[in-house]
Amino acid sequence: MTTAPAATAPATAPAALAVRDVTVRFAGLTALDAVSFTVEPGSVHAVIGPNGAGKSTTFNVLSGVYRATSGTVHLGSTDLTRLAPHRIAGLGIARTFQNLALPPHATVADSLLLGRHRLTRSGFLASGLRLPSAAREARLHRDRVREIAEFIGLEKELELPAGILPYGKQKLVELGRALCMEPQVLLLDEPIAGMTADERRRVAAVVADVRDSLGISIVLVEHDMGVVMRLADAVTVLDFGRRIAGGTPAEVQNDPAVVQAYLGTQE
Amino acid sequence: MSEAMPDTAQEPSVGPDAGAKPAPAGSGRTLTGPLRSIRTYLWLAGSVLLLLFPFYLDRFWLQAGLFAMAAAIGAIGINLLTGSTGQLSMGHAFFLAVGAYGYCILAGESSTENGHELSGLGLPTWLAAILAVLLAGAAGGLFSPIAGRLRGAYLGIATLALIFIGQHVLFNAGSLTGGFNGRAVPPLSLFGFTFDDTEVVVAAVPFQASEKLWYVALAALAFSALFARGVLRGRPGRALNAIRDHRIAAGVMGVPVARYRAGVFVLSSMYAGLAGVLLALVFQRTVPEYFGMVLSLEYLAMIVIGGLGSVAGAVVGAAFVTLLPQVLTHYSDSLPLVSAPGTGGLTPGEASRYLYGAAVVAVVLFLPGGLTRLKKPGEKK
Repeated sequence: MTTAPAATAPATAPAALAVRDVTVRFAGLTALDAVSFTVEPGSVHAVIGPNGAGKSTTFNVLSGVYRATSGTVHLGSTDLTRLAPHRIAGLGIARTFQNLALPPHATVADSLLLGRHRLTRSGFLASGLRLPSAAREARLHRDRVREIAEFIGLEKELELPAGILPYGKQKLVELGRALCMEPQVLLLDEPIAGMTADERRRVAAVVADVRDSLGISIVLVEHDMGVVMRLADAVTVLDFGRRIAGGTPAEVQNDPAVVQAYLGTQE
Repeated sequence: MSEAMPDTAQEPSVGPDAGAKPAPAGSGRTLTGPLRSIRTYLWLAGSVLLLLFPFYLDRFWLQAGLFAMAAAIGAIGINLLTGSTGQLSMGHAFFLAVGAYGYCILAGESSTENGHELSGLGLPTWLAAILAVLLAGAAGGLFSPIAGRLRGAYLGIATLALIFIGQHVLFNAGSLTGGFNGRAVPPLSLFGFTFDDTEVVVAAVPFQASEKLWYVALAALAFSALFARGVLRGRPGRALNAIRDHRIAAGVMGVPVARYRAGVFVLSSMYAGLAGVLLALVFQRTVPEYFGMVLSLEYLAMIVIGGLGSVAGAVVGAAFVTLLPQVLTHYSDSLPLVSAPGTGGLTPGEASRYLYGAAVVAVVLFLPGGLTRLKKPGEKK
């Protein structure tokens, strides 16, 4: 594996992502109930819990897809609770999706270039008229995309349509696309689910490398406890939309409430 | 449009181990090099042919070709919106009308025609043509708050309203549109050269309006196609495709979804406006009936038949849908079941509608990518 490419320096100093008392209700169903946690800058923060615990809802609130009924989300001092998804992306929060969200016919390179959207400027006129500024921008960002593809091991697939790649590779493309946004915070929704052992190792290494060498904060939803315990600096446990435990992986592992949520109570 | 990337050397290998074991460099046949030069020659030959047509084709075929080129521009526009962004529009005919009538009103002189007091601004015609395109864009802009908020088929339903509003205005705003009988189209003139029926002899071929307009239409089509290709291959194109494929993911990737939807709606309206101006120049008279719902449906048929989301698809589909009735009319004597218009029986217009109706069904069933994507290796679905 190549080492992490030197990122274009983040515009702002790393900031903590603070979730405060976030509640989400859908017509009487409470998906999240006063959930709070803080993702320290440059750390890997895992959000775990049984199915239906509210992990994906949390991600959808963080990325602006859902709006919190009450509570706030701050990145540093910026309130992003009511921002539209593209504005949140503009602040440097990138995410991947649990179920792939890749256009099957577009090439991997094009999918990755979509991640550069917020960092590029060419509009309809510049692209339509092929102004030199658009050409220069495209060249510059294609180079950067190639670097990132090499970093995550996709350089051979760059010109293939994403749809023909095996599932694991497609998930890597999603991860690459999020990295192409040069994020401050990376939200990974089950990044290794459905992968082969080899691909799992690769993704785990990429995630660790991203944190260590790029200083990106990572919020991770994952069912593979081995990976969570190995990678995470902090863990938040959700069950039925409530935060039932939090702390270091070791603390959480021995928390009776967590054991109960996962294994049920003894009769 | 990925095949134009310079380094598509190896063919995509489909199969369970396609990703795990990339094909060795030698086995990837380097067909792309020779293929590309063949394509270049085809393009060159095609361009020369298109440039020479006015010297050899008779008036009927030139008219048909002009008609097809104008339609191709409109089809490229609606393909940007519907094919590339997934936003259905039934209102394309409205914007064609804005372009056509806008040109007439801006360029025409105030006059009395068929009992209507027609008002016109009498601007230079080239300026009127440009302003008519901008006017269509502005009309699209007025509708864009709606176009930005509604997605897919919902926008299709909302744009239906434009057709009815358009038809009502065209029939009733007599002083602008000439009402039922429409109004005459002032011929285009550029740098003192007028594209009308006065004969100019070029290389022993008498050039009339069709011959002269041919080059205007060709230039307009080339510009429109190249512009659209630039848009689709660049940053806006990726954003538009992302909105079509995964709207939520597009937003999360930083694409302002509503703004792009509105933007592409305006752009597609401007394409329709340009197509409208050209159609007006070819017809030499604009009539309100033409800009009805059927026209919108024809444009949708064009892009479905030709191929959604690609410029070439729009052009091929436009040629197919516009030339078919012309061909049937021309050869109605020798075709079974088709009779000349006005003699009873199946008219060429009706026959062609049945035919391209069948073509739409056949394409949807058997060629989901349209005529321009007959087969492409390595693509599932």
